[in-house]
Amino acid sequence: MQILIYILKRIFQSIPLLIIVSLISFFIIRLSPVDPLAELRLNPSVSQETLQKETQRLGLDKPIIVQYGKWAKSFVKGDLGITSNGEKVSTKLKERIPNTLLLTTIVIFLTWLVGVPLGVLAALRWKSKTDRILTVLTSIGMAIPSFFFAVLLLIFAVKTGWFPIGGLTSSNFLEMTLPQQIWDIAHHLILPVTVLFTLSLAGLQRQMRANLLDVLDSDYVKFARAKGLSEFDVIYKHALRNAINPMITLLGFEFAGLLSGAALTEYVFQYPGLGRLILEAVLKSDINLVMASLMMGAIMLIVGNLIADILLIITDPRIRVKA
Amino acid sequence: MKKAGYVVLILILTVLLAKSCLHADRAVTTPSVNPPHSITEEINYPDNQKNVTIDGIDYLQSQAPIGKFGGTLIASTIGEGPKTFNPFNSKDNTSSTLSEIMFDGLLTTHPVTGQPIPRLAKDFSADGDTYLIRLRKGIKWSDGKPITADDVVFTWNDIIFAGYGNTSTRDSIIVDGELPTVTKIDDYTVEFKTPKPFAPFIRMLSTPIAPKHAFEPAVKKGKEYFETFLSTNTNPKDFVTSGAFRLKEYVPAQRVVFERNPNYYIINRDEEKLPYLDKLVYLIVGDINNEVLKFEGGELDVIGLQGANVARFKELEKHSDFKIYNLGPDTGTMFLTFNLNNRRNNDGKFNVDPKKQMWFQDKNFRQAVDYAIDRKNMVLNIANGLGAPLFTAESLNSIFLNKELQPYERSLEKSKELLKKSGFRWDKKGHLLDKFGNHVEIDLLTNAGNTEREAIGVMVKQDLEDLGMKINFKPVEFNSLVNKLLNSLDWDMVIMGLTGSPLEPNGGKNVWMSNGTLHMFNKRPENYTKDDRTDWEKRIDYLYTEGALATDFENRKKFYDEYQAIAYDEKPFVYIYSPLRISAIRTKFKNVYPAPLSGITYNIEEIWVDK
Repeated sequence: MQILIYILKRIFQSIPLLIIVSLISFFIIRLSPVDPLAELRLNPSVSQETLQKETQRLGLDKPIIVQYGKWAKSFVKGDLGITSNGEKVSTKLKERIPNTLLLTTIVIFLTWLVGVPLGVLAALRWKSKTDRILTVLTSIGMAIPSFFFAVLLLIFAVKTGWFPIGGLTSSNFLEMTLPQQIWDIAHHLILPVTVLFTLSLAGLQRQMRANLLDVLDSDYVKFARAKGLSEFDVIYKHALRNAINPMITLLGFEFAGLLSGAALTEYVFQYPGLGRLILEAVLKSDINLVMASLMMGAIMLIVGNLIADILLIITDPRIRVKA
Repeated sequence: MKKAGYVVLILILTVLLAKSCLHADRAVTTPSVNPPHSITEEINYPDNQKNVTIDGIDYLQSQAPIGKFGGTLIASTIGEGPKTFNPFNSKDNTSSTLSEIMFDGLLTTHPVTGQPIPRLAKDFSADGDTYLIRLRKGIKWSDGKPITADDVVFTWNDIIFAGYGNTSTRDSIIVDGELPTVTKIDDYTVEFKTPKPFAPFIRMLSTPIAPKHAFEPAVKKGKEYFETFLSTNTNPKDFVTSGAFRLKEYVPAQRVVFERNPNYYIINRDEEKLPYLDKLVYLIVGDINNEVLKFEGGELDVIGLQGANVARFKELEKHSDFKIYNLGPDTGTMFLTFNLNNRRNNDGKFNVDPKKQMWFQDKNFRQAVDYAIDRKNMVLNIANGLGAPLFTAESLNSIFLNKELQPYERSLEKSKELLKKSGFRWDKKGHLLDKFGNHVEIDLLTNAGNTEREAIGVMVKQDLEDLGMKINFKPVEFNSLVNKLLNSLDWDMVIMGLTGSPLEPNGGKNVWMSNGTLHMFNKRPENYTKDDRTDWEKRIDYLYTEGALATDFENRKKFYDEYQAIAYDEKPFVYIYSPLRISAIRTKFKNVYPAPLSGITYNIEEIWVDK
């Protein structure tokens, strides 16, 4: 019951936040000097009437505040509006969301599966050779810019011919059998996943290592050891459970990044995901599409944090008492 | 003491280095790529396609060598992919290209001569304001229904004239506020009539024809519904098409796949129905770099190449499976223009500083600028040698190009002579002064982010500084530049580019007619009534009006030749260069006959794969 009230409270708190986010983003996009019609204006074969019609259709003839009001009204009703090409924003997003989710969930799953154990390992072997090697590797991972790394891998793919050059499926995908199709997608995913995995692994492994080191140094761990508990019990029963708390907060942020985290990599690999769609929308000031994605990002962040907080309440009795 | 010696040494070295850099600031003529040979001389085009009647069906027969059926050609489109597959709704190139693969027009353009030739139509005759079109008997839509005069009349009356979808076709054929008419004579004959003779109309007859039975329900639901009709979310099975290919699959942000239309009306010399290819795939790629990588990696079969890539691919070509073709100069034009405006804006201030007006409206001044521009150097340094200096208002591959207008070399002497004629002089430091003693200082704008135009700007600045002018070169954001050019009109000189058609100069009337919306060198406000045209503006207005009314090609060419001659002499636009179009295609594709006017895959139904 208490948890329910807590959740409701959090949802109400997020409403003004969303309004502010939407206001700021709407005005920044509209005040930027990108004119969605500039290309048409300089095309000798486009007539004045066509230009006027386009201006009206996109609502550019009205003051910004009216445009915002119109957008907000339909957004509340659940209607995301149409893109500047007249397609429904919701269909556009629906086309891309599964692709992005596929990529990001694989990456998150892999990084957590590998990153957390490696972090624990490094902390337990603190200052040993294993720890040092891992530190060097993660430093490299953190230092490589994702864009650059992606381009390097693409060139690798071109030179060796071992991997497809971007995209998600081959052009004869429709004619393949199911196992072939699965292999085709996996084959296309290897390189983008490698890039994103390398980058996020580094951060996660270091975070885990630092947390565990912190805990291992605390009084109660010393006490547990002094009490004569086995090393296994000390670490996996007491230390790890405490060290994992900050990781749960991190998981909340990862959730927010599910739909927006990989724009650059998507762009380089020509991956048909949300990031590429939104990047292109921003470049031509396609307001409804950009707004929908920004709002989605904000909502995902709020929900992610909420989930993290709830998980924390479950795992950490200390927070439960305070709440 | 020793330390001080080092410091002095380093200083001297730095000064020397800076000195040599200053000298090197001038763009050097670097050895550049030799453009691949022009294609026209080495290609034996097959005979024109001709009509044959077999079992009462009027086919079009390809005269190209017979090939094998099967295979796939993978091409690409840069950007976000198509926005619609409805040829009447498309507002961007990608959508038009892809939707026109599926829908043929009555006429098409001869790939080499550029003259209109029959396509869906069996033949046609044009006589002043009347166009008589005879259709092929017995040819079918992809769903098996016959293509008849009803489809043609429906397309023109109920879609185009009624203002459905993108109205630019309709807007461009209104003559004196009146639309042409279209009448069905019998099931296979249609007559078009323009209010008065209007030559550009014949090009409009290559507009796709829509199947009445598939489009009529959508048209009845109104314009708003029509905007979403045949959108990219449409099930491929719902397309009824007449082109060589029909839609098979559209995967957003990845590709568009077409499959052969089994009912196509073009046959080969063995009387087998074309196209040869089973599939035609367009990959949707985000940018040029990715496209090049995909071609290199073998995922693409055909590609347009630019700049430094041409040199690299030329090297690769020797031991590779593709061939590079030079398709000649591009249809676009790139130019430097002056603001000849002498009007005041709404606040009563001059749009252009009066002392600058004196310079820009002076023909000698404009010609002096023209002679000072080193086009060759720009082609070498900016376009990697892959361009052709441009001197005419029509692009170099236009069938209306006035060939008498000769290119010339840069000549500072001529420039100086012209300036002296108009009373300009130089002070002791070599700065240019006008006859009232004002320093000649001009702002030169272009759109920021376009590296090619920015590079041209820098070189124009250097060239004009050789004349003692002071040029402030400022790349500005594209939108604010468009706004300056078309609304606020407060600019001096601008470097811009415009697209054009190599087939129909009338498209340039928005630029050249004195009341045109893109008449940027002397833009008049909307609803401007005062006649303050210069003599040559008047003459061009006349030539453009008459050029559209004359119907016979030779006649028309006279009008357009004269307008080009005026533009060449008066120099409201100083044209700079046209980049060359270079394409590469894999050698396994046969029946490839690249043509400067039409590109490389225009005859897609004849192309086949040799495995």
